[in-house]
Amino acid sequence: MEMKLCLIGMGNVGSCFLQLLKEKRDNIRVNFNFACRLIAIFEHDGALIDNDGIDLDYILEDPTNLRKNQNWKSNVKAQDLISTLGIDICIETTPTNPNSGEPALAHILEALNNGIDVISSNKAPFYLQYEKIKNLAVKMNCSVKYEATVASCVPALSIKKSLVGNTISRIRAILNGTNNYILSRMSAEGVSFSVALKEAQELGYAETDPSLDINGYDAAGKLVILSNELLGWSKSIEDVRIKGITKITQHALELAKLDGYVIKHLAIAKDDNLIVEPRLVKRNSPLNIQGTLNIIELQTKYAGSIILMGRGAGGSEAASAILNDLINITNIRRENNRN
Amino acid sequence: MIYLEVKLPDIPGSLIELIKPISQNGGNIHGVLHHHDKKLNNMIPVDIWFELSEEVIEMSLENIKKKLTENNIQLTKISVDSKNKILTFILTGHVFDTDITETIKRLDSKSIKVLELHAKFTEVDEISSVMMKVEFPEVITKFELTTEIEKICKEKNLFLIRS
Repeated sequence: MEMKLCLIGMGNVGSCFLQLLKEKRDNIRVNFNFACRLIAIFEHDGALIDNDGIDLDYILEDPTNLRKNQNWKSNVKAQDLISTLGIDICIETTPTNPNSGEPALAHILEALNNGIDVISSNKAPFYLQYEKIKNLAVKMNCSVKYEATVASCVPALSIKKSLVGNTISRIRAILNGTNNYILSRMSAEGVSFSVALKEAQELGYAETDPSLDINGYDAAGKLVILSNELLGWSKSIEDVRIKGITKITQHALELAKLDGYVIKHLAIAKDDNLIVEPRLVKRNSPLNIQGTLNIIELQTKYAGSIILMGRGAGGSEAASAILNDLINITNIRRENNRN
Repeated sequence: MIYLEVKLPDIPGSLIELIKPISQNGGNIHGVLHHHDKKLNNMIPVDIWFELSEEVIEMSLENIKKKLTENNIQLTKISVDSKNKILTFILTGHVFDTDITETIKRLDSKSIKVLELHAKFTEVDEISSVMMKVEFPEVITKFELTTEIEKICKEKNLFLIRS
């Protein structure tokens, strides 16, 4: 069995995925019984398209080889060409506008409209247009997977399959590593918010413009996806009550300690409500994680609390989540005799 | 709920000396918190909270206290909750400038009693932080309590961080 792929966006995540695909291609062939042929790589200024399959070694050896290749076409758009490539799966990893979800949203819809399965690492299309994407996928009998959008390689979404016999009543999570790093540093070292933020930026944990993180928007988007997927809700980011961490003072952290608490930026889904805000958490709570880690606590009806924890960001982490999705989609296609 | 604050010697096995009498007297332990950072003279303050059924509470508590004393565990505080519930929260902003007494009175008028209050500030008219531990009757839900506090916060432009 062969899966024909296209990759849209060869930034950090896209490049890491190609590297992982290269490393694991023999393993995939042997253990999962399929091969991958990469037909196209789209970038913002054009695309490399090769029906015989793009040579991964050549591209990864030097990223500038992408545009040097004789098959490179300048100024072509993914949205115009997705339907013409004869691909099975479209992998979407473009930098995307957090408020509009574009261009990723258009790519995803175009692929699904043409009966192409989709894997995405972009959050925005899913916290903005979850219903629309899911409904279209069902209508077109396609798979759409987006494990990398929440806590990266931590199986936050795919755990659903393992809990089908249970009922999840509440989610509490720390979904933004930048904020958790800042609060951890403020709490442990007594540094101010601005110093901790600067440190996070220097270490590459925070963007130059950190507003999406520190104002809680990033965590809110992930919470929407998580609750829609695990609780069966149909929310969008407008349904989340969001408070960021910019008003957390050193005094507040010191007071919290007096009563055995720490302050954590929690994302909570409970009783049809979505909340992202700083909360007091008992120091001995499993939610008291340090640094850039993510944690997701699922309160279940029949098994109490179930906890997932791990690195919630990074190129190789997202790449491994994408590869999981690719293997899962291929298995679904095989079950449905779609190849 | 019964809350005990004790001081345990920092040696292996001392925690079991605390837990055993509670468990043997019907206590359903809900939590244990070690304050390693407050260790003094090799003694660690430990908070433990547990439930006892109403019928045996007095007798069981007496037995537990007696046994703890026998085990050389120093009991520093004991409190028994009524049916009331507790919430801890922090307010950040101009907590004093916006009349903290009025804030407390407003909570009190809704049967929300402030049990503890701790404050941190540099100047009274600067941004300050205040932590309050409040007790509220069982008839008031946590959601209703939070709504009341949030209403005050909105009026006084305070930032709420709650448990």
